[in-house]
Amino acid sequence: MKRLLILYCAICSGILPSLVLAQVHDSVMWDYTRKMFLGEALYQFDDRIRVSLPEFAEDSMQVPVSVDASAIDEPIVKMITWADYNPIQHIFTYHPESGMLPQVSITFKVQQSTPVRAAVLTESGQWLVGSGYVSAAGGGCTLPSESRMNDDWQSSLGQIRAGRFSRHDQPGADRYKFRIMHPMDSGLVANIPSFYLEQVELRAENGDLQVRLELSPAVSENPSISFDRLSSDQHYQLWVRDNDGNEFQRAL
Amino acid sequence: MAMNSNEHFKGAAMVLKHLRYALMGLLVCGSWVQANPLNYELTPQEIAPNTWVVTGLTEDFTPQNGGDIVNTAFIVTAEGVVVLDTGPSKRYGEALRRVIREVTEQPIARVYNSHHHPDHFLGNQAFADVDIYALAATIDLIKSRGEAYTENMYRMVGDWMRGTDVLLPNRIQTPGQERIGEHSLRFMAFSGHSGPQSDLVILDETTGVLFAFDLVFYDRALTTPDTPGLMQWLEDIDALSSLEFTTLVPGHGEVATSREPLDQMRAYLTWLDQVLTDSAAQGLVATEVMRVDIPERFSSVALAAQELQRTVTHLYPKYEDLFFAENF
Repeated sequence: MKRLLILYCAICSGILPSLVLAQVHDSVMWDYTRKMFLGEALYQFDDRIRVSLPEFAEDSMQVPVSVDASAIDEPIVKMITWADYNPIQHIFTYHPESGMLPQVSITFKVQQSTPVRAAVLTESGQWLVGSGYVSAAGGGCTLPSESRMNDDWQSSLGQIRAGRFSRHDQPGADRYKFRIMHPMDSGLVANIPSFYLEQVELRAENGDLQVRLELSPAVSENPSISFDRLSSDQHYQLWVRDNDGNEFQRAL
Repeated sequence: MAMNSNEHFKGAAMVLKHLRYALMGLLVCGSWVQANPLNYELTPQEIAPNTWVVTGLTEDFTPQNGGDIVNTAFIVTAEGVVVLDTGPSKRYGEALRRVIREVTEQPIARVYNSHHHPDHFLGNQAFADVDIYALAATIDLIKSRGEAYTENMYRMVGDWMRGTDVLLPNRIQTPGQERIGEHSLRFMAFSGHSGPQSDLVILDETTGVLFAFDLVFYDRALTTPDTPGLMQWLEDIDALSSLEFTTLVPGHGEVATSREPLDQMRAYLTWLDQVLTDSAAQGLVATEVMRVDIPERFSSVALAAQELQRTVTHLYPKYEDLFFAENF
C-alpha cells in the first residue's frame, strides 16, 4: 500500500510536466479539429513547418502568428491554420500561385491558451502539419472589438496601410505587408452580428492571381497581414472583401 | 468485450480502489505544495536617515513569489510614517505594516500610490485607516482598471491574493512642495511609464533621496503597457537627470547612489526605439521583432527578452503605422 502510494505520487508528479509538454503538439481537440480541416486525409507532423508565436498573448485580441514552410523542398498548394481551443478554430487558408513563398503572417484572437496548427498541402499531395503554442489569459473572441467602443470606426472602415519591402535576410524576396481597418466582429458578442473580412487577393497588373487568402472572424480587428514573394518589378493590386460585400482595394 | 454483472462489479471495485490510492497520492502531493506558507519575507533597509526601502525581486509575477517584485519604501518623520506604495496584495500590505511597526513606534501618517499598476496599490487595504494619496489621473485609472488588474493578479500569483480588493486612494496629490515633519518633499507628475500625468515622483530634499518609482527600472527590463511613447519616457528620464539627488530608489531593481540607473534607462529606451523603428523600416512582422537579440551590454537587465515580446505587442503597430504613413 505504501509502495503503491509512492508509485502514484511518482506517477502524478511525473505525468504533470509531460502533460504540459504534450500540449504543444497534442490536445484533446486535435482529432476533432484535424477532421474538421483535413477530413480523413493522411498527414504527418513536420518540424520544417515553423509556427512562430509569442510565448504569452499580451493582448488576446492581437496575437501575431507567422508560418514559414520554406524548409520544405517542394511547392505548396495550400496552407490552413487554426487554433485548437478557439471557439472559431479556423484562422486563415492560404492559396499561393507560383512565385509566392510559403511565408505568411497575420494577427488573430485567442480565447484561451491554445496550440496553433498550420497544415500544408504539398504539390505531391502530402499534408504536413506544424504546431505552435501560445499561453493566454483569454477572452479574445468574445470581447467586443475596440472599434465597437467608439462610433468612428465607420469612417476608417477598409482603410489600408501597406508597404512593399525587400527582405534583408532573404535576398531575392520581397515582403508585402498591410493593415486594413475593420472591426472583424466574430458574431460571438451579444447583439453584434458577425462582420469580418473574408477574402484577400493579390493580383498582378494583368489580372493574374498571385495569392488568395480566406480569413475567418478569428482574425484580429484591424489585422496586420504579410506575404512574401520572389522579387519582381511588377505592380500589384490588393483586393479585400468582407462578408457584407464591401470591397476594398489598394495598389502595392 | 462482454462482462457479466459480477465481473463488472469487481472491475468497478478495482477502479474505485485505485482511484482512492490515486486521490491519496494527489493529497500527499497537494499538501506538499500547501506546506510552503505564504509569507512575504520583507526586510527593510535604511538607505538614508529615517528612510527605508523594501526591495523586491527582479522577477515577473509567479505563484512562488506572490508578486513580491516591487520596491516599497517608507519615511519615518516626526509627524508619522509616510508609506510609498503598498505592494501587490492585502497580505503584502499587512506584512509591510508589520515591518514598519518593527522599525518605529510612529503611527502611519499617510500612504502614497505612485501609479495605477497593481503591484503598487493592491496592499492598500492594510492602510484603510489612514489617508491614501495619489495623482488625480492615477485615481481615475485605478477606478476604471483596478478590478480587472485584481482578477489578473489572482490568476497570476494565486492564493497570495486572498482577500485582496481595490481600495481607492481617497486624497488627490497635486505637484508641488510639502513639508511633512522635518522632511521637505517635492511631488512631481510625469507620463512616460503610466500615461499623461500619471507617474508620481517624489524627491526628498531633506535626505537627497529620489523616489523615481516605475519611471526607473534598474537591471530589470522596463514595462510598456501604458507608455504614451518611448520618446516621452526619454524626456522624463532627462528631467530626472537634472534633479539634485544622492540616492535613487527605482520602482524595480536595487537602490543606487549613482546615476547609473538613469544612464541604463536612457540607453535601453534608445535601443528599444531604434529596434522598433528599424524593424518597421525593414518590414518585419511582430513575431520577428519579438525575437530580436538583446545586445550584450544589457546582459544585466533581467527579463529583457520576455519584456521585448510584450513591448512589441504594445508599441510595434504604432511604429509600423508611422512608417507606412511616411513612406507609402
